[in-house]
Amino acid sequence: MSNALYILLCSGEHEKIQMAGMMASVAAVSERPVEVFVSMNALLAFANGMQPAERYHGGEFSEVMCAKNAPDAIKLFQSGKEFGDLKMWACSMALDVKGWEMSHLEKDLFDGPGGLTKFLSDAENGQLITV
Amino acid sequence: MTDQILDAQGLLCPMPVLEAKKALTKMAAGATLKIIATDPAAKGDFEVFCRNTGHELLESSQDGSIYSFRIRRSA
Amino acid sequence: MSERTTIDARGAFCPGPLMELIAALKMRQIGDEVEVLSSDKGSVTDIPEWCKKVKHECISVDEKTGYWSVLVRKAK
Repeated sequence: MSNALYILLCSGEHEKIQMAGMMASVAAVSERPVEVFVSMNALLAFANGMQPAERYHGGEFSEVMCAKNAPDAIKLFQSGKEFGDLKMWACSMALDVKGWEMSHLEKDLFDGPGGLTKFLSDAENGQLITV
Repeated sequence: MTDQILDAQGLLCPMPVLEAKKALTKMAAGATLKIIATDPAAKGDFEVFCRNTGHELLESSQDGSIYSFRIRRSA
Repeated sequence: MSERTTIDARGAFCPGPLMELIAALKMRQIGDEVEVLSSDKGSVTDIPEWCKKVKHECISVDEKTGYWSVLVRKAK
């Protein structure tokens, strides 16, 4: 049993994407391997070239975070990748139903399209959480 | 012995693996299943599926956006 | 001769100060010191915890007026 963290990110809510970014980056920089599987509404937030206002939709906390310039979620994932062992997978089904190629997503973030069979199997070795 | 064929082209993840599992259940031990898929996650998924179930992944190849696999049904 | 850099992360929200510290440490030599100024209370406990985990040296945590100064030495 390893200490690897597997995050299944499905929610399009800013607050949840932010929390996933915070957990992924902090775990990765604390020398804990992390893998993130991005699907459903969450995948929509990772399209490249969006302004934060288009990218992030949420409730009260989302407004406060935007007003106070909290760290950008995408940048947190990028920091995790730069300073730690963080892999990100784009759900193949979600890409397919949207008709998106990997090039539609933010650059230098995703390690490729992925499927649940592999993600769930790999996660048996670590800790799996769903956001 | 010839391969049984599963045409999973156009099927969205995770259907290729689920359909393969269904087909393999009905096959005799030692029989082989050829799967053709367009799902890019299929390569990783079939490697893991075979490792976990004990079926043998005989071949895994890609030609453009078409992925082909051959699996031998275990005992 | 070890060098000290100061990062003013006051006003940045968690985990900003930690991430800025890590980016700075990456560019320094072993033995160099990085001082992080933070107004975020969470970082004040997170940074020493992170140092312990990844084995850098957290030299001191000083409370100033309205912020904290955390001094870290790059140990590896």
